[in-house]
Amino acid sequence: MSEPFEPKIIAFVCTYCTYAGADLAGTSRLKYAPNVRIIRLPCTGRISPMFILKALQKGADGVLVSGCHPGDCHFTHGNYHARRRWMVFRALLDFIGIPPERVKYSWISAAEGVKFAEFINSVTEDIRKLGPFEQYSQLIGDTQAPASL
Amino acid sequence: MSIEQQYQARAKELLSGGAVKMVIGYGKGTTGNRRRPIFISSPDDVGRLVLDDSCIINLSGYLVSEGLLSDEKRVAVFLRPEGIRAINILAAESQLDADQIVIFGFDVNDNELRALKGIHVEEFADVIGSIRENNPGFADKELLEKIEKMTAQERFAFWQEEFAKCIKCYACRQACPMCYCRRCIVDSNQPQWVNTSSHSLGNFEWNIVRAFHLSGRCVECGNCDRACPVNIPLRLINHKMAVEVLGAFDHVAGMSKTQEPVLASFKKDDSETFIL
Amino acid sequence: MAKIGVFICHCGENVGAKVDCTKLAAAMGEHPGVAVSVEYKYFCSDPGQESVKKAIRENNLTGVVVAACSPRMHEATFRKACAEAGLNPYLCEIANIREQCSWVHTDKDMATEKAMDITRSMVEKVKRNNKLQPIEVPVTRRALVIGGGIAGIQAALDIANAGQEVVLVEREPSLGGHMAQLSETFPTLDCSQCIMTPRMVEAAQHPKIRLLTYSEIESVDGYIGNFTVRVRMKSRYIDIDKCTGCGDCITKCPAKKISSEFDCDLGKRTAVYTPFAQSVPNIPVIDKANCIYFKNGKCKICSKTCQCDAIDFAMTDTFVDLEVGAIVVATGFQVQNNSVYGEYGYGTYPDVINGLQFERMASASGPTAGKIQRPSDGAEPQTVVFIQCAGSRDPSKGVRYCSKICCMYTAKHAMLYAHKVHDGKSHIFYMDIRAAGKGYDEFSRRAIEEDEAAYVRGRVSKVWQENGKLMVRGVDTLLGRPVEIAADLVVLATAMIAQPDAKEFAKTIGIGYDEYGFYNEAHLKLRPVESSTAGVYLAGACQSPKDIPDSVAQASATASKVLALFSKETLEREPVVATNNEATCAGCWGCVLACPYNAIEQKDILDRSGRIIKRVASVNPGLCQGCGTCVTFCRSNSLDLAGFTEKQIFAEVMGL
Repeated sequence: MSEPFEPKIIAFVCTYCTYAGADLAGTSRLKYAPNVRIIRLPCTGRISPMFILKALQKGADGVLVSGCHPGDCHFTHGNYHARRRWMVFRALLDFIGIPPERVKYSWISAAEGVKFAEFINSVTEDIRKLGPFEQYSQLIGDTQAPASL
Repeated sequence: MSIEQQYQARAKELLSGGAVKMVIGYGKGTTGNRRRPIFISSPDDVGRLVLDDSCIINLSGYLVSEGLLSDEKRVAVFLRPEGIRAINILAAESQLDADQIVIFGFDVNDNELRALKGIHVEEFADVIGSIRENNPGFADKELLEKIEKMTAQERFAFWQEEFAKCIKCYACRQACPMCYCRRCIVDSNQPQWVNTSSHSLGNFEWNIVRAFHLSGRCVECGNCDRACPVNIPLRLINHKMAVEVLGAFDHVAGMSKTQEPVLASFKKDDSETFIL
Repeated sequence: MAKIGVFICHCGENVGAKVDCTKLAAAMGEHPGVAVSVEYKYFCSDPGQESVKKAIRENNLTGVVVAACSPRMHEATFRKACAEAGLNPYLCEIANIREQCSWVHTDKDMATEKAMDITRSMVEKVKRNNKLQPIEVPVTRRALVIGGGIAGIQAALDIANAGQEVVLVEREPSLGGHMAQLSETFPTLDCSQCIMTPRMVEAAQHPKIRLLTYSEIESVDGYIGNFTVRVRMKSRYIDIDKCTGCGDCITKCPAKKISSEFDCDLGKRTAVYTPFAQSVPNIPVIDKANCIYFKNGKCKICSKTCQCDAIDFAMTDTFVDLEVGAIVVATGFQVQNNSVYGEYGYGTYPDVINGLQFERMASASGPTAGKIQRPSDGAEPQTVVFIQCAGSRDPSKGVRYCSKICCMYTAKHAMLYAHKVHDGKSHIFYMDIRAAGKGYDEFSRRAIEEDEAAYVRGRVSKVWQENGKLMVRGVDTLLGRPVEIAADLVVLATAMIAQPDAKEFAKTIGIGYDEYGFYNEAHLKLRPVESSTAGVYLAGACQSPKDIPDSVAQASATASKVLALFSKETLEREPVVATNNEATCAGCWGCVLACPYNAIEQKDILDRSGRIIKRVASVNPGLCQGCGTCVTFCRSNSLDLAGFTEKQIFAEVMGL
């Protein structure tokens, strides 16, 4: 039997809540799936929809976006702005045919190491079930000149 | 007197009195039912102005041409309701001073041309306000429903096929009154967020970014649709996003010249169901 | 050409046990642009840091990646080490392969693969890092304190006593605020004026405090360290330099029947007046609306009486422009108007009063000289009903929040009443007794046990007049039965609300407020005395309902924040701030609206003849906190955030 599919997942998180929550998962020695790669931003307000597209371009089978719970933003409003953008961008991606299951959003605080670990595990499992994002791979494959560094 | 004649007379009066320096309107096109934008500065030329149900292009985008309004003189422009909404958005986004714009408002209902009363954008609040309840729905509703019923995979395939036609001519951008940026994100190459050659990934990204940047701002005038040489149903995506924004934020773009841009503002109780 | 040094830390076994550091170091060594890739047991140790410094010097490294623990642990350590080796500290980044890799994964191969991705991504970022310099903002060492109640006075005194200049602005004619109106204070029952007035005098006489009473803030511009404030000094019609405060004008003023605001309409005052006898400064003002001369053009008795020639009917408002480095907002609160409660009869029956009116009545210097009297006939009430939560915790007519002080002051009122009217009987309708605080619960128990206040747990549904009594109908929810009490006086424990102009004023100074108009702190838990605008601090009840000790504590906390800011001539800030490309900015101002800190301004670009060519956004690095919300909004991709630039993040993703 062939090896199980290991999805590639890229996460964009704010440093004050979710990144700290991920650190807490570490200091608590929780174990979770090793498929996720985290990119640290100061605030969810800094997370541009372009990042999600670039993650997909790099072959991510899933993308995560996470930050402080509403009301907890270190910068007071960043996550409220982010939430609006996500609402719109998610609807757009859905309409274009990028399944919402592949781009997940969450609020994870600095105290929620357990939630972080569980979130990574459940998303990894979900995306494993969805399988590789073949349609997008095709798109990339059709492209002769991938974006250079 | 026909509406065309009335508006010609008004244009003549405004130009000869110096109340406006230019009238942006419609003139005869290359074929019978085509109209092209014309820019009239002399009262002697008002006879070139045409107004009939073939006048479809949203002319508001010409108002933000570099330097046109910087002398603080007034400019008159022929606009349908969606064009009037565009004036509100351009004013709300500080691209023009609405007081400088003299509006020749008109609309076409059931092939009948109708003049809209008013000169300044505020005076059309009722006309454009009715859009909230009664969106004329320029987009192809049948196609929209068809796409919405598809699976994600089918939708992806549908758009991939549509976007594959894209030749990256950016006519959609040039035609859009809301695409006034001096440098579009697609022209920014440090970093190159959107691939510029017309291959599938770049086409996909460009069309997503275009639609996202117009979310909550598009007035569905259809300039992009008409400009697209390969007939991608661009307006359909914009329409879908307008519906989403209305549902999520109760926001209809261009209702007033002080309306806050929907993606630069927020409500603490904006409600969603997908953030875990 | 980039010359990046990659330093892979085993962290003892912490990383080493789960990540093959040798393999990682070898792989990174092969990566384009990496000049050095080494591993070591503990890079955070002194020899570890020395080896990083040595590698920087020997290889002329252009960037450093330390693959180790979380940047939240040792980013500062390694950035400092880089600076010591002559490398700009912002060219150093941490790849987190401990907390987010070795500690959370069990499979060594997969953990190693992940560590490679993390490190490679960070190398790609560092290649695009820019040298950044901490932002230096000059600091004007002068503080503005807005509001001359106990919070404002405390903040002003603390700052001034540390040797820094303070301008204290109060809009009423005298310092004192609400605390000056109180009779005795809980939980000690010491006289409010006895502890308040010396503070008022101290503030007024302090060589470092400039006092501007009867003055209001017109405008606030600038940013932390550099505010420009315009103050309107309202016309007193009395020359503050000539007046000696003898009070002759007040004695002679014929307009004597004006309701006294200070006495909550229970007393009268003249048209030329000081709010109360111990006013600071002891300089009267002429109330233009009620002055006979201003109304009829005849009178001027005060002017004739004044031996100092201090009265000037032609006086106009004047303006003072101030340069200050920090602002303490201590604008206080108001009490809700209880006339919304028709069922309680406030405003209809004169013997239904609010808590603040009871304070004035109980005050020895108040309109009744401390005697408890019915406002209607001056009789001593034999039965008093106190109704708590008259407005608080009532979403339908009042406010949703708890006003925090009413449980305590109602207990105090009952005690004061018992001490003044020995055979009087007090009944208190309450929802819960919230007596958290040092000595507070003991105090409220004393009201019950020693001063025999009868607490009834339940709400009052109606108050009406019958046979010269106020009939109070309520319910005792503990006994489960209706209660009717014939009272002589009803006192409502009115909700504390924000000042009526609080929201408008917040916009003037550029701070945030909540749905009620109370000012928002920068962080509810960790930055409770700072507003979201750098350099503006919050003290007292303008932030939320507070009692005196809490207000004083918060005021002193703001003073310590101000003094920390004033401890240096310049303020150093992290250079993680937004920048704008003016050439490409479309001037749509979405960023101006989106910025939580009002840090983005409109800037005119002029040609040589001074004509505006275009308007663009301009980020004030003194105000920007570096969240990057504006960058994401910017459609033309003109805004960027130092330290997290578009190029850097793009490269990070592409490095994965």
